[in-house]
Amino acid sequence: MFFHIILERNMQLHPRHFGSRLRDKLVSKLVKEVEGTCSGRHGFVVAIMGIEHVGKGLIRDGTGFVTFPVKYKCVVFRPFKGEILEAVVTMVNKMGFFAETGPVQVFVSNHLIPDDMEFQSGDTPNYITSDGSVKIQKDSEVRLKIIGTRVDATEIFCIGTIKDDFLGVISDPGAAA
Amino acid sequence: MPRVRDDYEDDLDEEEGDEYGGEELLDDEEEAEDEEEDEDYDAGEKSAKKRRRSEFIDDAALEDDEEEDDDYGGRRSSKKGRGGGGFIDDIALEADEEEEEEEEGEDDFIVDNPADIVEDDDRRMHRRPLLPREDQEEDVEDLERRIQERYARSSQAEYDEETTDVEQQALLPSVRDPKLWMVKCAIGREREVAVCLMQKFIDKGSELQIRSAIALDHLKNYIYIEADKEAHVREAIKGMRNIFGAKITLVPIKEMTDVLSVESKAIDLSRDTWVRMKTGTYKGDLAKVLDVDNVRQRVTVKLIPRIDLQALANKLDGREVAKKKAFVPPPRFMNIEEARELHIRVERRRDPMTGDYYENIGGMMFKDGFLIKTVSMKSISTQNIQPTFDELEKFRQPDERDGEIGSLSTLFANRKKGHFMKGDAVIIVKGDLKNLKGWVEKVEDGNVHIRPNEKGLPVLCSTSELFLQYSKLVLSVCLLLSFFMQKTLAINEKELCKYFEPGNHVKVISGSHEGATGMVVKVEGHVLIILSDTTKEHIRVFADHVVESSEVTTGVTKLGDFELHDLVLLDNMSFGVIIRVESEAFQVLKGVPDRPEVVLVRLREIKSKIDKKLVAQDRSKNTISVKDVVRVLEGPCKGKQGPVEHIFRGVLFIYDRHHLEHAGFICAKSQSCLVVGGSRGNREKIGDPLSYLRTPQRVPQSPGRLPPRAGGRHRGGPGGRGHDSLIGTTVKIRLGPYKGYRGRVKDIKGTTVRVELESQMKEVTGKDSSRYGMGSETPMHPSRTPMHPYMTPMRDPGATPIHDGIIGKKRILLRGEPPGSPPSRTYDAPTPGSGWANTPGGSYDAATPRDNGSAYVNAPSPYLPSTPGQPMTPSSAAYLPGTPGGQPMTPGGGGLDMMSPAIGGENEGLWLLPDILVNVHKPGDDAMIGVVQEVMADGSCRVALGSDGSGDMVTAQPNEIEVIQPRKSDKIKIMGGAQRGSTGKLIGVDGTDGIVKVDDTLDVKILDMGILAKLAQS
Repeated sequence: MFFHIILERNMQLHPRHFGSRLRDKLVSKLVKEVEGTCSGRHGFVVAIMGIEHVGKGLIRDGTGFVTFPVKYKCVVFRPFKGEILEAVVTMVNKMGFFAETGPVQVFVSNHLIPDDMEFQSGDTPNYITSDGSVKIQKDSEVRLKIIGTRVDATEIFCIGTIKDDFLGVISDPGAAA
Repeated sequence: MPRVRDDYEDDLDEEEGDEYGGEELLDDEEEAEDEEEDEDYDAGEKSAKKRRRSEFIDDAALEDDEEEDDDYGGRRSSKKGRGGGGFIDDIALEADEEEEEEEEGEDDFIVDNPADIVEDDDRRMHRRPLLPREDQEEDVEDLERRIQERYARSSQAEYDEETTDVEQQALLPSVRDPKLWMVKCAIGREREVAVCLMQKFIDKGSELQIRSAIALDHLKNYIYIEADKEAHVREAIKGMRNIFGAKITLVPIKEMTDVLSVESKAIDLSRDTWVRMKTGTYKGDLAKVLDVDNVRQRVTVKLIPRIDLQALANKLDGREVAKKKAFVPPPRFMNIEEARELHIRVERRRDPMTGDYYENIGGMMFKDGFLIKTVSMKSISTQNIQPTFDELEKFRQPDERDGEIGSLSTLFANRKKGHFMKGDAVIIVKGDLKNLKGWVEKVEDGNVHIRPNEKGLPVLCSTSELFLQYSKLVLSVCLLLSFFMQKTLAINEKELCKYFEPGNHVKVISGSHEGATGMVVKVEGHVLIILSDTTKEHIRVFADHVVESSEVTTGVTKLGDFELHDLVLLDNMSFGVIIRVESEAFQVLKGVPDRPEVVLVRLREIKSKIDKKLVAQDRSKNTISVKDVVRVLEGPCKGKQGPVEHIFRGVLFIYDRHHLEHAGFICAKSQSCLVVGGSRGNREKIGDPLSYLRTPQRVPQSPGRLPPRAGGRHRGGPGGRGHDSLIGTTVKIRLGPYKGYRGRVKDIKGTTVRVELESQMKEVTGKDSSRYGMGSETPMHPSRTPMHPYMTPMRDPGATPIHDGIIGKKRILLRGEPPGSPPSRTYDAPTPGSGWANTPGGSYDAATPRDNGSAYVNAPSPYLPSTPGQPMTPSSAAYLPGTPGGQPMTPGGGGLDMMSPAIGGENEGLWLLPDILVNVHKPGDDAMIGVVQEVMADGSCRVALGSDGSGDMVTAQPNEIEVIQPRKSDKIKIMGGAQRGSTGKLIGVDGTDGIVKVDDTLDVKILDMGILAKLAQS
């Protein structure tokens, strides 16, 4: 799920950036530092939408670096249990398949793939229904439901299921081509 | 029924009789009254007043009783039928005995207990919904309200709590109670005698003054008779067969309870438990209990047959075969067809009791391919049976569903203490509340209090409840009570199983996968399928072996002397890296670069661990050492990238986090790889002076890999964990007002370090000068000096001692230090010496030059062949700050300022010089060769593409530039040291030292290859 929230961060800025473009520098540095990071609490910071407030800078002793408390608006993405997401399949193996929704990796175990889909190894390993009408392979787009998440310091890993109504392949790379 | 009651002294007793009517001997009259009372429940009238705890359970029994009456049409006949037939169920017997025991003291308990009225009132109310009456629904709400009221009232007095110890004590027999007499009887006739006594009681009624007769299964040759006087006993047994009245012994009061205590062991062995055979051909085999005969101490078990059909056929044909004991046939299912083919006679028989068909071959019974065998209880072991999955799978094959629950009962028996913990999600797997889920609230031994997650529990007890043993009886009462208290349920832990849902993150705490963590993918009954965090593989475990946890671990990582991810030398002189540790073997990814080859290797097949820190050369002849990040350029794993974990015989083992096979390990030839820049993200950090140290552009000489390596090495040790690894280490403050203090590093920001002092309860902020003091962190100084140690790969072994000496004893320069060091780029040769010298000097107190000396000599000597003098001498002035050698390095502040980004840019620029050949790596493009034309103030360069500088001009950031290392007889430019800027010719290469003939002076110098750059042809 995406959230639009306000976060705060203490930014250290080198004195050489002091000047008229200080704020720009601060913002660009913030974007560089924050975008794409992941925190267990908020999930992935997808984008910074704007700066809410830049507090008073505090000069650090000895270094001359200045610490600014910066409040910024950002969009974060955090997957939740039970959430329905659309994802792109990145790898298929006999244990299931891995898919990605943005920065989040989701694993769908073969136990959580409908029973009528069978694994087929080969050049492009895939899961296919017995009548061949539905096929999950690399680059397929699937709709899945998150059933568990594991949040590390730097990544969020989920397991998902497509064994439910209205879940499964939504677009086939083969069909599109 | 082995219990005879003489007469009923009062109403209470009568009631008692009714309650346990299921197994009691009763007069018709009493029975009628009993029936009446049943009616009475609706009104909650008189009789209910006398009801006590146990009766909730017995309602069912009562019903049961009624049903039977209906069936048989008359009470007497039914009783007789029971007495004669197989109605005496063992468990019932035990339960009954317990009840009896309980009731003995109970009268007292109730009379003594002033709260009983209240309690009984409640109970009466509780009782009502237990019986399915027509009018049940009409006043449910009313009832509920009243219950609430009453409960609220009674809770003040708290008598509704389960029996306390004192109350239990009150139940024990006293001198006033009837005594227990032990009477000898014929062996094997114990039951019969008891039944006869019962019959006698029925016939004679009140003439018989004994209270009860008890035959215990485990006690041969004796029965117990309960009576007030020995004379009564004699009277009762007079004229009976099989009973020998000569010897009647009184059971001491203290031992009376023991007589009737239930043997817990007997309970363990019930149908469907897993056992192991202790002896014979099937020794150690798993078996499933089909039937237990407690009297004959025999158990019928189901086994997977180990039968050699051929041998059997021979035997049956009368051909005697030599008995070879050594050979035990492997277990496999009996195939009747196969047996027939061998002309073995197979009889098909129907079991008269169960109606099932069995195949009988040579006296052995088979069913569905299993061998059905009746063995002595002594020949099986029931404790600590941990069936493996394989075994269970086998058993499950023919009868799909049964296996599951059966396996559980045994598993439960093997639980460790403290198996359940507060907060665990559990599910009830047995009894009436089966499938009720809840959370553990409290654990007492044997019982677990759970908070159910459902409101409005069904409260009806079924018949089966009656037959449960005493403990359960109490328990169920508690259960009901607690239900009405709207709180928790107390459940025997044997009836509980942990419960997980897909998506839970769990840790395996026992079994073969102990220690592994993962997410539950699927729940199959009580088996979980877990996706391991590390291997991304499925693991099957019992729900019982798992706890919920947020931890992430690998599971077993060590076996013998070898650990997961170790590089090992195999027996046949091949080598590989351990990618998985199994119970007795390792999976090893062999060092074959062409294709991934995984072998299963036993512990003894591993010759040794390879612990050498070797180096290799990549395609561009860059040195690769462990932890360098490389990219695979060709082969099956082309395009993969990751840090090198092991190097051996020119083969690299690269760890790629995104590679899912082989635990993320890739094996590649060093020649097909290329070293890439420092660790991720470092170069992004503007303003972090460290980033300069790590990014490649700082050290142009060769390929940008040295600095990260050097940095990593010295900063975080071989782990290359970056500077943050300083956090938590103990440091000693080297300068400033806190000089000499020791403390723990709490935080690192930029170049400041917060140190928590050990001696004073405070944190101080200081500058981390250790990087400079250690020399290694400042590539700019040393690298420019010709002989600087860390340009040479050889430094590795030597560096270690230094490193060790330093780590944990880094020095922090506190604020307020005068910086003021001479510009670092001006000094040369003595620098390395002083740098290294200072380091130990600082870390050990200067007062112990000996130590310094030794540490020092150990460390840099290997690589300082050309400057042995000054730094090598332990007594050298280099140890004292302020001496020419030491000075530049010491005041970290100075060095630091030099490093600070503002000037840093300029600094960097100086590394590159015009006219040298470089590789430009623009993101997204391949490397292009070019000639540096101009070095800008901000460190970026204008580079003319093409080897002769004839191509387009591009501007490249320092981190996109890689200096091309010269080869022998190339024209070169010296980029560091005193000779910086001079040109020359590389006349030879010795390891990492280049022999250079300088153009201007025609001197021949030995310079580090790192500071030599190839000059563009002009």
